[in-house]
Amino acid sequence: MKFIGIVGTNAKKSYNRMLLQFMQKHFANKAEIEILELKDVPMFNESKDQSDSPIIQEFNQKIAASDGVIIATPEHNHSIPAALKSIIEWLSFNLHPLDGKAVMIVGASYNIQGSSRAQLHLRQILDAPGVNASVMPGSEFLLGKAQDAFDDKGNLKAQRTIDFLDSCFAKFMKFSDIIAQMNIPEDITYEPGTFKVTAVGHNGDLPMEVTLSDDRIEKIDIDTSSETQGIADVAFKRIPQQIIDGQTLNVDVVSGASITSRGVVDGVAKAVKMAGANPDILKKRKKSNGPNKQNVVEYQTDVVVVGAGGAGLTAAARTIQQGKKAIVLEKFPAIGGNTVRAGGPMNAADPEWQNKFEEITGERHTLKEISEIDEKTIDAEYLADFKALKKQINEYLKENEDQKAYLFDSKLLHRIQTYLGGKRTDLKGNKIYGQYDLVKELTDHALESVKWLEDIGVKFDKSQVTMPVGALWRRGHKPLGSQGFAFIEALKKYLESNDGQIITDTAAKELIIEDGQVKGIIARSSDGKKIIVHAKAVVLASGGFGANTKMLKKYNTYWSNIDDNIKTTNSPAITGDGIRLGQSAGAELVGMGFSQMMPVSDPETGELFSGLQVPPQNFVMVNQKGKRFVNEYGSRDELTKAAIDNGSLFYLIADDAIKETAYNTSQAQIDKQVEQGTLYRDDTLEGLAKQVGMDPATFVKTINDYNSYVDVGEDPEFHKSAFDLKVEKAPFYATPRKPAVHHTMGGLKIDTDAHVINQDEKIIPGLYAAGEVAGGIHAGNRLGGNSLSDIFTFGRIAANNALKDME
Amino acid sequence: MKLVGIVGTNSSESTNRRLLQYMKQHYSEQAEIEICEIDEIPVFNEPEDKTAPQAVQVLSDKIAASDGVIFATPEYDHSIPAVLKNAIEWLSYTTRPLINKPVMIIGASLGALGTSRAQAHLRQILEAPELKALIMPNVEYLLGRALEAFDDDGNMVYKDKAKELDNDFIEFLSFVKLTEKLTANSKFFEISKQFSWKQVANGEDM
Ligand SMILES: Cc1cc2nc3c(=O)[nH]c(=O)nc-3n(C[C@H](O)[C@H](O)[C@H](O)COP(=O)(O)OP(=O)(O)OC[C@H]3O[C@@H](n4cnc5c(N)ncnc54)[C@H](O)[C@@H]3O)c2cc1C
Ligand SMILES: Cc1cc2nc3c(=O)[nH]c(=O)nc-3n(C[C@H](O)[C@H](O)[C@H](O)COP(=O)(O)O)c2cc1C
Ligand SMILES: Cc1cc2nc3c(=O)[nH]c(=O)nc-3n(C[C@H](O)[C@H](O)[C@H](O)COP(=O)(O)O)c2cc1C
Repeated sequence: MKFIGIVGTNAKKSYNRMLLQFMQKHFANKAEIEILELKDVPMFNESKDQSDSPIIQEFNQKIAASDGVIIATPEHNHSIPAALKSIIEWLSFNLHPLDGKAVMIVGASYNIQGSSRAQLHLRQILDAPGVNASVMPGSEFLLGKAQDAFDDKGNLKAQRTIDFLDSCFAKFMKFSDIIAQMNIPEDITYEPGTFKVTAVGHNGDLPMEVTLSDDRIEKIDIDTSSETQGIADVAFKRIPQQIIDGQTLNVDVVSGASITSRGVVDGVAKAVKMAGANPDILKKRKKSNGPNKQNVVEYQTDVVVVGAGGAGLTAAARTIQQGKKAIVLEKFPAIGGNTVRAGGPMNAADPEWQNKFEEITGERHTLKEISEIDEKTIDAEYLADFKALKKQINEYLKENEDQKAYLFDSKLLHRIQTYLGGKRTDLKGNKIYGQYDLVKELTDHALESVKWLEDIGVKFDKSQVTMPVGALWRRGHKPLGSQGFAFIEALKKYLESNDGQIITDTAAKELIIEDGQVKGIIARSSDGKKIIVHAKAVVLASGGFGANTKMLKKYNTYWSNIDDNIKTTNSPAITGDGIRLGQSAGAELVGMGFSQMMPVSDPETGELFSGLQVPPQNFVMVNQKGKRFVNEYGSRDELTKAAIDNGSLFYLIADDAIKETAYNTSQAQIDKQVEQGTLYRDDTLEGLAKQVGMDPATFVKTINDYNSYVDVGEDPEFHKSAFDLKVEKAPFYATPRKPAVHHTMGGLKIDTDAHVINQDEKIIPGLYAAGEVAGGIHAGNRLGGNSLSDIFTFGRIAANNALKDME
Repeated sequence: MKLVGIVGTNSSESTNRRLLQYMKQHYSEQAEIEICEIDEIPVFNEPEDKTAPQAVQVLSDKIAASDGVIFATPEYDHSIPAVLKNAIEWLSYTTRPLINKPVMIIGASLGALGTSRAQAHLRQILEAPELKALIMPNVEYLLGRALEAFDDDGNMVYKDKAKELDNDFIEFLSFVKLTEKLTANSKFFEISKQFSWKQVANGEDM
């Protein structure tokens, strides 16, 4: 993430500057903060427009390009300094870079109560229509007694202050993410045509004709004869101009002619409705940023990539490494897609490294179990590999029969586990497992991907080998720094310093296809520009369709039901666009009916880290009737299936001792969630049941039964495989949970060269796909940690072959 | 009675300036209003020597010599314009002529809604310890649709708004007289003159 920090004063010595400099240093591994100074900003003057001056343009452009703005304001005379007010006025006059931007306010001052009044004024100012920033609510960071707050290295002295700043900043990172998502313009499509409507003007009817193409307002003709000449003229000129420039109905009415102005807006809204679209979407859009000088922008490049997630950035970086040009189109303002959300390490068998670690309990048992699998149940393509693996395992077990061994791994084990892990049967009895050649490609080259990422600049933590949830084996390569973000940040840096181009806020809409050859992309930017990229190859890397419920429901063959309002752990951008683009060129799809759900997600947000998340041996799950319904130690699939069969919503029950084993939260967060009503707490089991609306007697019996199973170590009802604590110590907790969509395994059919394959099993020339957009590898269930291996491996393969095919 | 009217903007076209000009002309019998501009004042930057630049000194002297001050402020982004805030910061940081000075706040705007938020901010600002102006309570004069408010001879077209301003202005004149009595032997004045935020923080004062 990149933030702009503004020092809210032009004084030579400023504690607010020190505060920002401290934040810059302190948060360096989380985000980049660039500090801007007000020293050279001229006093705002409406009659001497200097919007084009270098200093104001610098503010304008840097803010526009940033993920958010941090303003550190002193308090001068109970308000913000004039110098700060002046730059805000410049940025609300002809330029509007703060429009919809996430803003965090901090302040330092001599006074004990810090800069509270100034911060309040600043909030009101930033809320003015010309500014229209999205200011983070709450989390008011006021540094009182600033002259005593820093040590001589410029660091904040008090740990409590630092802790509070940490929590405000963590919240801001999240907030700016959410705001970025809010800024994604909702798509709109019209029934093309010219619509005759009548709006209400100042002096009566205002007949208009509005021409719409499939995705744009093209023309607005108004019969102006009845309105007052001289007063309404400006409105007739300016309002349609603003509407067309910005493709928005969020326009400033013309003072003195506000009724006419609103009439024009209402008229266009009527036409939009007649064309089958919702005008509210246009009203929520950003205001026009002035005339759009270039409505069509064209680019020429070697490889154009759709989607700036892990797979897409990898394909672009690999292209550039080989001396060719690449452009990445990204629908969202921020890059990274689902890849930045990934919390785990990436899988790659690296025995040389893994062998340096000792085995842990249970691993030998897992290997034995694998080697004892009946060969008749192994599908033919995998049989030779399975036999070879068996041999490896037996040698290893023999060699270490009487001693503590090292951690075993091999490409074959990774391959067979990917195959076994993905094997599923859907509701219709269709069996699916990973396509052999693709799984082999993945497991053979995953380690190369780790090495390649190191060359690009990703640093891995070699000191431990970990296993993400659902991975089956310890072969995780964990980057230093926050996980998903570390990959994206390194790739972004590499691209930026090697002339790679990432165009954000731009969604790919259509493939350019000439004589069966894919030759580029037509895209639309969020401010309405048409972007045409001519290229020798197109790589689709737009991720899966986890955030597209309609599409999930259409293809689903695995779950008995998917709720209309099901939540997702995915970024809202992940709507299957690449799959549809591929289909427009005749692509075949594979495994589309299989999706992965995260059973223990927040029912409102889909998030994983709310409520009390405890180790599975301490899971006690009850349905809405207050009864247990599943072996809580089961796989994600089993839990999800059972939850769906029990009406989706269920509760994780904990007592005070189980609460202590939660790895995701703090007492402060717990208290807050209880207060907000997203987590329930009560001193008695009966009270807890009443709070969530269960029959108290049923619930109490359920818990007593569970406790008795813990005592004897056996669960005759659901055969829970492992226990730890009983539910007995007040207060008691209930965390509401619901399965949320996590991953889509199906997608475009590809070959081992990442070519997209059409329905006649032929390569579609010029079209490649990599990452979650492609299907065939993970089949019915993706192993934790395998997706990252997939995207970095097939991202490289796509670029390699795109360039090879060009020659 | 001698009053100073401060135009709260540096814009060459200002309805707030016109409003003050209207008052100057219209109330010439009751008071002498001198209109002051703030566009020449440099950007405030907390200079260490704490001396007022020429333009600030001139304004400060006029305020000091007056019986009361009228601020006419537009509203920019829900607050007062930076240029007006700038002038006030200089005054508070150097000469502090507004302490115990009677003040009337008015505002004109092009739209119908007027400048109520800017006026509220200005009140809070002028109440800061190093400014301590005496702001006339209970009066908020907002002139909306100000572009069409005056005819060619400078008369106010909106009769109700003209009447309201007459009443408010008479009120202000008696407020000025009232405060003279109040402040004649106020100790507040000296305290405020010496006020420093540093002292507050160090617990030396207040
Ligand atoms: C919460 C969470 C945790 C996860 N944890 C792990 C883990 O620990 N280990 C693991 O291996 N996997 C994990 N996964 C899965 C993994 O993160 C994803 O499968 C993987 O990142 C997908 O990478 P990608 O490059 O294919 O797509 P993404 O990273 O999703 O990128 C796709 C990009 O394309 C853009 N896009 C979409 N449509 C268009 C369009 N029309 N035009 C332009 N751009 C477009 C999107 O905005 C997005 O930026 C996790 C997933 C989630 C959601
Ligand atoms: C003109 C001026 C007015 C001030 N007004 C206030 C005020 O209203 N409230 C306050 O808490 N501090 C006020 N202060 C003190 C500032 O809080 C103090 O100077 C602080 O250090 C400003 O932050 P900085 O170090 O980043 O410039 C004022 C300072 C100046 C120069
Ligand atoms: C940068 C800027 C911001 C503005 N913000 C507001 C506002 O928040 N509310 C409002 O009523 N008018 C706002 N206006 C309009 C002014 O109030 C309007 O121009 C007013 O008439 C100014 O007074 P004047 O004519 O004396 O310059 C803004 C104007 C500018 C240039």
